[in-house]
Amino acid sequence: MKQTFKVVGRGYPRHEAEDKVRGKAVYTDDLEFSRMVYGAILRSPYPRAKVVEIDASEARKLPGVMGILLPGDVPQKPYNCSGNPPSPLAIQDERILTDHPLHVGDRVAAVVATSPRLCEEALSLISVQYEPLTPVLDLEQATGEDSPVLHPEIGPSNIFNKIEADQGDVEKGFKASDLVLEDVFETSGIFHTCMETVACICDFSGGKDLVVWSNSQTPFQERRILSKLVGLPESRVRIIKPMMGGGFGSRQQLHNQVVGALLSRLVRRSVKIVNTREEEMVGTCVRHASKCRVKVGVSKEGLIQAFQAEVHHNCGAYATHSPIVMAAQSRKVPYRVPHYQYEGYCVYTDYPVAGAMRGYGNPQLSFAREVLVDRAARKLNMDPVEFRMKNRILPGDTVPGSPLVLQSCAVKECIEAGEAIRNRIDRNEERNFEGRRDDVVERWGMALAMHTSGASNNTGMSSAAILIHDDGSATLLTGSADMGQGSETALSQIAAEVLGISLSDVRVTAADTRHTPYETGSFASSQAYVAGHAVNAAAMDVIDQTRGALAIRYGVEAGPIVFENRRFKFEHGETSLSFKEAVSEVHFGETGTVITGRASFKARHSAPHSPPAGPKWLLTGSPTVLRFAM
Amino acid sequence: MSENAMVIRMEVNGVEHRLHVSTGDTLLDLLRDKLDLKGVKRGCSAGQCGSCTVIMNGKAVNACLVPAVRANGKRIATVEGLEGQNGLHPLQKAFVANGAVQCGFCTSGMLMSAKALLDADSNPDRKKITESLSGNLCRCSGYKKIIDAVEGASKNDMTPVQSMTSDQ
Repeated sequence: MKQTFKVVGRGYPRHEAEDKVRGKAVYTDDLEFSRMVYGAILRSPYPRAKVVEIDASEARKLPGVMGILLPGDVPQKPYNCSGNPPSPLAIQDERILTDHPLHVGDRVAAVVATSPRLCEEALSLISVQYEPLTPVLDLEQATGEDSPVLHPEIGPSNIFNKIEADQGDVEKGFKASDLVLEDVFETSGIFHTCMETVACICDFSGGKDLVVWSNSQTPFQERRILSKLVGLPESRVRIIKPMMGGGFGSRQQLHNQVVGALLSRLVRRSVKIVNTREEEMVGTCVRHASKCRVKVGVSKEGLIQAFQAEVHHNCGAYATHSPIVMAAQSRKVPYRVPHYQYEGYCVYTDYPVAGAMRGYGNPQLSFAREVLVDRAARKLNMDPVEFRMKNRILPGDTVPGSPLVLQSCAVKECIEAGEAIRNRIDRNEERNFEGRRDDVVERWGMALAMHTSGASNNTGMSSAAILIHDDGSATLLTGSADMGQGSETALSQIAAEVLGISLSDVRVTAADTRHTPYETGSFASSQAYVAGHAVNAAAMDVIDQTRGALAIRYGVEAGPIVFENRRFKFEHGETSLSFKEAVSEVHFGETGTVITGRASFKARHSAPHSPPAGPKWLLTGSPTVLRFAM
Repeated sequence: MSENAMVIRMEVNGVEHRLHVSTGDTLLDLLRDKLDLKGVKRGCSAGQCGSCTVIMNGKAVNACLVPAVRANGKRIATVEGLEGQNGLHPLQKAFVANGAVQCGFCTSGMLMSAKALLDADSNPDRKKITESLSGNLCRCSGYKKIIDAVEGASKNDMTPVQSMTSDQ
């Protein structure tokens, strides 16, 4: 059945775009409150050290400095800052302020003062006597026998977690292979570089309720962790996400909100903390640097028999997301592999903390695997494109190392589209061959990677509420955090579509933990799917309730009232009502009722792929050449 | 803390201001903190990202690198002054229409670099547009649409580029 949509599938400008081009969109650092003061964090200059003594007396004397927190002034219960639902993999090893810093940028002390510049000056006046310790900076050193153990409270070695996945018997697979290749690849840690740095304003001034404005991808997870740390029920901790200048995974965790909350409680004023770019680079998170030992076995016909990966991850000083990143990494092999074995190791070092970042473990192993796959194709004198086409995973297959069955995959269409571009460019260049310079070396290459829209461990959950106003316009309440990807507009489109009203009739309030319903978080390119389903179901609930209310209003059975082509129709008679007409009928009068839709959605699967012949603006899976050397 | 306050005069978006500035204040501090022009974004404070780009006497500059005292006697235009009495500036319209706005944090700076370019050259080619925006980073990596938007705006009736009117 072909569905025709009125609002979904059309390229509307996102609803906040005009505010953004006017410079009127409000990001966290743009907010100012009466009597607001500023906080700043003293960060360790050493990758590993012991704090012997801190003397903050000079800083306290500085006029305008209102308070200072040292490690002894804050709870020392370890926690995990990552924005994941509760999990034994979220190892609790981090402290709010520490006297044993484990990376450059680790939080040692905090100040609150009447201006950012005074904060800076106060930080420089805090005298810390450090005993520098030999830092453990790379995987080799951290896993060596004489390495210091960075978290003895977690385990006896720096390898603090191991994730395994397998199917078949890789040894058997390698024996049955005609070609076996093996190599080791290292990837480096890279940084998200959101244009907006981490920022928060914490208002704990009454001591009973904590309100936080912060750039958060996972406000509900952050609320849960924060509420435990400050000892409040979740109803008394409110996280509001203002406009957000990018996330890319780095905002999938708590950053300075805990320190901000404690500073605010200390001075009974709202406290703003904004990272400098330097702090952002040392004190937030990076993508895991990794060492991937990969081995592939292939038959002479070019079929992959076995694939083995042993990946060590440089997790930096704290666990945060790491074991969950590895679990995700283990199940992203885009090939049919009868025998597969994955071993992922989390390793503590004194490197910057590794957290969530685009791809969540996928890029590292994909890089290593694809180089090896390319070599295998070349050894067999096969075209690397054809080799991948031959081995690619197909709908109905089980994703290697997981119980998940792949339900859709348009990689064939994607590769064919890429090939068409390559052929076109090659053809054109042949025509212009005479103009080509000899010193230009040109190569085509390809790599294949598979990612899911939605977490591959089914953690995606969202809910929505839709308040219907007496004129039939709607306010959508969603916990989904828009970090710049446009989810608020997409979700509003879904609501407008189902209700049969125009997009401009829908306003959205999103990601405010007091006023919007729960949602796991914005990550894994999943909002249109996970939150979208919740919004769709909440809008259907609105329609059902309206049918019921119409039945009462007109004294008929609800069953035969249908909502088709954006109109309610009754069993008999000519009457048909638009959504807005229906709402104004049922809202007022003796049988008056308020329509409020709600729904919860738990993702059992990741989103299906976009149709290859989808609308032009749908860019996912549509290769294009943006720039190439000529 | 050394105050060394002095008074400067500058015109911002068509309005003349007299401001007390301290040593160490940058133009960015003045615009954001004293004039409440929060559309000017603070991304790196080191002239690397272009988020704080404003136009000073016709040239696009990183406000974070301009000492406040150097703004004395200058004419400054920020994103807040881009909108004219007839609504959005063609560049603003083109950014919205082309989907050139994602997280939006680079948008103000992009717009001001683009405006400085179009004021100097009303019909730049894509190469020139790309070069002119090379100091403005977009981490959402929406460069293609941004360049499309600037090119689109330049093809509209862009002459004269609207004079700055006050929003104060």
